[in-house]
Order: sequence, then C-alpha cells, then structure tokens
Amino acid sequence: MISEPIVQVDGITKRFGDFAAVSGLALSVPRGAVYGLLGPNGAGKTTTIRMLMDIIIPDEGTVRLFGDARGGREHSAEIGYLPEERGLYRKMRVLDTLVFLAEAKGVSRDVARRKAGEWLARLELGEWQMKKVEELSKGMQQKVQFIATMLHEPALLILDEPFAGLDPINTQAIKDVIVQLSRAGTTIIFSTHQMDVAERICDHVCIIAQGRKVLDGALAEVKRVHGGTHVAVAFDDGGEAAVPIIGDPSMVAKADDYGGYAELALADGVEPQQLLERLVRAGARLRRFEHIEPSLNRIFLDKVGAAGAEPRRGEVARG
Amino acid sequence: MDKVWAVIRREFVERVRSKWFLISTILGPVFMIVVTVLPAVLAGSGGGARHIGLLDAGSGTLADRLVTQLETGNQFRVDRVTTSESGAAAAMEALTERVQAKAIDGFLVVSGATLESGKLEYRGQNVSSIRDMALLQAAARQAVMMERLTQRGVDPGVVQESQARISVTTLRITKRGATGETGAATFFLAYVIGFVMYMAIFLYSVNVMRSVLEEKQTRIIEVLVSSLRPFQLLLGKVVGVGGVGLVQMGVWGVAAAALIRYRGVVFAAFKVPAEQAAAIQLPAIASGLVVLVLAYFLLGYLLYSAMFAVVGAIVSTDSEAQQAQMPVVMLLIPGILVFPAVLNDPAGSLSSVMGLVPFWSPIIMPIRAAASDVPAGEVAMSLAILVVTVVAVVWVAARIYRVGILMYGKRPGIAELVRWARQS
Repeated sequence: MISEPIVQVDGITKRFGDFAAVSGLALSVPRGAVYGLLGPNGAGKTTTIRMLMDIIIPDEGTVRLFGDARGGREHSAEIGYLPEERGLYRKMRVLDTLVFLAEAKGVSRDVARRKAGEWLARLELGEWQMKKVEELSKGMQQKVQFIATMLHEPALLILDEPFAGLDPINTQAIKDVIVQLSRAGTTIIFSTHQMDVAERICDHVCIIAQGRKVLDGALAEVKRVHGGTHVAVAFDDGGEAAVPIIGDPSMVAKADDYGGYAELALADGVEPQQLLERLVRAGARLRRFEHIEPSLNRIFLDKVGAAGAEPRRGEVARG
Repeated sequence: MDKVWAVIRREFVERVRSKWFLISTILGPVFMIVVTVLPAVLAGSGGGARHIGLLDAGSGTLADRLVTQLETGNQFRVDRVTTSESGAAAAMEALTERVQAKAIDGFLVVSGATLESGKLEYRGQNVSSIRDMALLQAAARQAVMMERLTQRGVDPGVVQESQARISVTTLRITKRGATGETGAATFFLAYVIGFVMYMAIFLYSVNVMRSVLEEKQTRIIEVLVSSLRPFQLLLGKVVGVGGVGLVQMGVWGVAAAALIRYRGVVFAAFKVPAEQAAAIQLPAIASGLVVLVLAYFLLGYLLYSAMFAVVGAIVSTDSEAQQAQMPVVMLLIPGILVFPAVLNDPAGSLSSVMGLVPFWSPIIMPIRAAASDVPAGEVAMSLAILVVTVVAVVWVAARIYRVGILMYGKRPGIAELVRWARQS
C-alpha cells in the first residue's frame, strides 16, 4: 500500500445556504507530492482545505487522510495547517506561542521548546523569542506562524495561500523551507492563485473553479495533455511590428500579450518556424523566440476561462 | 488530556503574568487593611473635641445641665456666653464672627422658652457632620429631659440614675451557641462575601468570554480546532481561568485570615490606639462556610463562564460582545438587587426562594450561610439544582460554542442558536 495517496477526496460537496461552495470535488494527492490547489478567488479552495482539516464537515462525499476517514483533527500530529486567515495571540511571547501550539498537537513541552528555538534561529527570529507577538512586524509574525505550522514535523503540510502578503525576501525564505521539506519527504498541499509560483514549485496541480474541478494531475502530464504549439516571444522594443501578426487568427489562436513579452498559442497546423519567418519579415526586433510548453498560467486561463470565470488582466481573447 | 492541560496552562500562566492580575491580587489585601484600619485611624484623629459656644439667653439652670452633658465624654469643649433676652441678637452676631474666624466650630442657642418648647438651635460650620449632630442632639435631649424631671419634683437621685448609659449588645446565636460575634460583624462578613462572590463570578466569566473572542478575532481558532476538539479547548479555558480565580481568592483568603489573626500587629503598625482597636469587630469565619463559598464560587463560575463563552463565540467584535452579554448580565443582576433584603432577613422566605434559583444561588446562599444558619436540606437542594443546571447549560453552551467559533459576520438570532445546539 505504499502507493496509497496521502489524501483521497471523493465527491465532496459543501453548501452554504443555496450557494454550493464546492460540488462533487474529487482529488488524490500522492505521498511526497508538492500539490498545488489552484483557482481564482472564490473558487472553493479554502472551503476544500477546511474540509480536509475537519474544520467544516462536507454535506456529501468522503475525505480520507493517511488511508482512513477519521478526519484531520485525529491526524493533527501528522498535519501542519496554515489557514488563510493568519493570526496569533497578540500578548503572548513568541516562544510560548510556538510551544503552546505544538503542545496542542501533542508534542511534549521540552521537544517543542528546543525545536522552536532552532526554527526561530534559522528564520532569523532568535532574538525575538521572548518578545510579545504584537511587538513583531507583520512579516515576522507570518514567519512565526509558519514555524508553528511545521514545528511538529508533520508528514503533510496544508498551506492556504502561504505566500499571500509576504514581501519578496520572506517569500523566498518560506519557499526555501517548502522545497527543503519536500526533499525530506514531506507532502505539501498549498493553494494559490499565483500561477508562476505554482508552476515553479508544484509537481501536481488541481485547478478548481466555481467549486468544481477543472483538471488535475501531474504538472508534466497536464501540460502534455493541454497540447497545442506554444511560443514565447520577447522584443527589444514594444513589439509594435509584431502586433498585426499576433492578431492574425490564421497564425495565432491565443495570445497572452504583455507588450514586450508574449506567450502565443499557434493556430492549428502553424509551425513555429512560419511565425518566426513572418515576424522577421515584418521587422520585429526579436530578443527571444522559444518553442515552449504551455505555461500553467496559459492552461489556467484556457481552462478557467472556459469554465466561465472572468478573464484575468493581460488576457486578450483571440480568434 | 495533555492537550487540555496545555490549554489550561496557557490560560493560567498568561493571566497570572498579567499586570491586571498582579494589581488586583495585591489590592485585595490592601483594601481589607484599609477598611479595617481606616475607621479606627479616622476616629482617633477626628480633630479631638469640638469647640463650641453656648449662648444662654435666660435659660437658667438648663444651660448648666447642657454644659455638663456636652463636656462629659470629652467630645465638646463649651464656651458659655450669658446674655439677656434683648442682647441675644448682638451676642449671636459676635459668635457668628468667631465661627467665621474658625475660633469655634459653632454655637448652640438656648433661651427661657427652650425648656417648654424643646427647641434649640445650633449654628456652625460642622452641621453636615452626622456624628457631631448626633452627639449634640443626644446631649440636648438628655439635658432638657433631666431639667424637666427635676422641675417637676422628681428625686435628683432618680434623675441621676436614669442618666446611666443604656446600650443593647447584639450577639449572634448559631447552632453552636452564642458566637461572641456581634450583629455588625456578621452583617459585614455576609456583605463582603456576597460582594466578592458577585465580583469574582462576573469578572472571571467575562474573562472566559474575552479569551474565546480573542481566539476568534485573531483567527488562531482555526489552527486550534484543527488540533483539538472544541470541547477540549473550552474545558481548558474554563478550568485555566477558574484556576486563576481560585488562586486569587486563595491569596485574599489567606490575607483575610492573617489580618484577623495578627490584627494587633497591624493596628500597632498604623498606630491605632488600643481602645479603638479593641472596638473593631472582625468576624470569625467557620471552615464550613469556606467550603460552601468555594463550592458556590466554582459552580456559579462554571454556570456563568459557559454562558459568557457562548457570548464570545457568537460575536466577532468587542462592541458586539458588549451588547450580546447584556442578557447574561441581566440574569445575574437580580442576585445583587435582593442583596439588602437577604441581608436583612437571611432566613426569610424571599431568601429561601432566591437561594434555590441556580442563577442567583451562588451569591445568595453564601450570604445566607454567613448571616444565619441555613438548614442543611436547603443547602443540599440548592446545590443539587445548581449542579443540574450547570450540566445542562454547559452541554448546550459547548454545542453552540463549537459552531460559533468558526462563524463570522452577522450575529445569530435565538432560532439560529437553537439550531446550532441541536446540530450533531
């Protein structure tokens, strides 16, 4: 049973009044995966995670964690959970807070104290451990909460929007820890709507929109299945010369155009070579021309756009 | 169980570390010393004897008697001014000026008509002093009465005898016989116990509410309920905060016992004269009463903390909590309103009935027990009703709490709360 998924969700549905936040969602997270739960705001990511955590109970369907259906709370010692809404006891000392939260998960006091000290030192918060939480900056508080999430060395980390509200330096610090934990064998599920981050960290993804699954699977497989021919182009100037070509539906089916940079899905039967030729002839000052896999952002836009969500900024609907 | 223990410890340690706890714990004994010592100190240093004038406008021997009466007991020093009826106005003018110059505190006016009418007049700057006026009145009444009796030919010896001080000493009788405690001491003890019970139950229950609300407001509740059951969390919270309450009451109790035991040392430290110190009555506290007070505190605290926990769980902000706690506060209030009535007649039917109602019995019963002998059957009945109520209320509260802590936004109505409580 080594290959049994660490999380197995079948047909879960949660309604709030008449509104179905999640409908019939099924997903399966392999052990050791870095699993991205992706979707636009209001897609049902947080509701799904709360059902995994046993915080709210699905109206229908089952959640199995570690191969049984006892629920997240029974496995709390093996799960680290970072909720979307962050918060700590404001008046409590940093070290005491970490020790208490670890104890609530069943870690002994001494072990919790030692590990909290180690983690605080590692994330450069060592000198703050006797300070009250409210004396810390917001970024520091987020790091403290992140430490609380993984202090008890869980086999499964569930992070709801872990990068939201972090500055680039702290984002980097947290990302490094996630990668390191993943290498050490921790399964990580995280939700985000930042596709670029997800693309770089995840090996599995599940895209949901309006409470329903749009697609899921290994990232490589998702990209392969998505198909089409994709090209990334960058221009030295604003790419004005290329505009008519990118706008030509016989050449380009879809474009994610940022001005100086664009990702293009070519029309059926069009070879990248043909596009390059036309761009050069039109006098476009190319800096980059690359045959690429479809980006997760592209896939997300295609799939979620098709599922009826609003197009995101930068999206230009074509042909 | 380890998890509950972690919650208990957090609630306890965080509170005991706070300034609020330190200050209130220290202030308790300070307050006790102040209320015991202050009256004695004040009585001792009350400015000594009052210096007053006595304007005698032809009253004859009545003025002699008045001076004698006023000066016995060393409460007044009297300057006698004798004048004719016609010179009274000018003499009054002169005395008024002396009062204004603070040479005397005031002056009493007696005339020839006083004996007949029984009317005297006092003018002074200390007329608002209840004590001074009471002493003046008593002296005047005594003097007029004696003068009247003497003039009607009553034997001066008999009159003298009638002047002997009369006082009624009140002694409390319990089943163990007379206690040697006076009524005043009993009243004081019962009053303090009732007040402390009310304050302790209210303050610590509100603390539970604040604690619940804080976890909701900071959103840390979500991490907590993914780690332990809501009931474990609530249990740890109530026990932790209650533990702080017990420690604080313990400190106060020990301080009170020490004060009663070593009052001689305390009075000496404040230089209270020995005869003043002896006059201060401190109540004896029976161990049975201590047990009863503790039992009612714990049960009353459980009852109200469960209800206040619900308030904390169903609101999202402090101001909402202020409003939502009103029904619970109103439930507690009748226990305070009947306070004087219960003190007046601790064995009466009102006291008996109020002592059975679980929402008030934690305040009423300790008062009754301190002020009278409550039949054991009544205590047992009251405790039984209280225990049953606590179990029922805690059960309902825990169910509402479990749902409420994860709900934000609009405050639920009664119907919604009932639905939450019934939800499995």
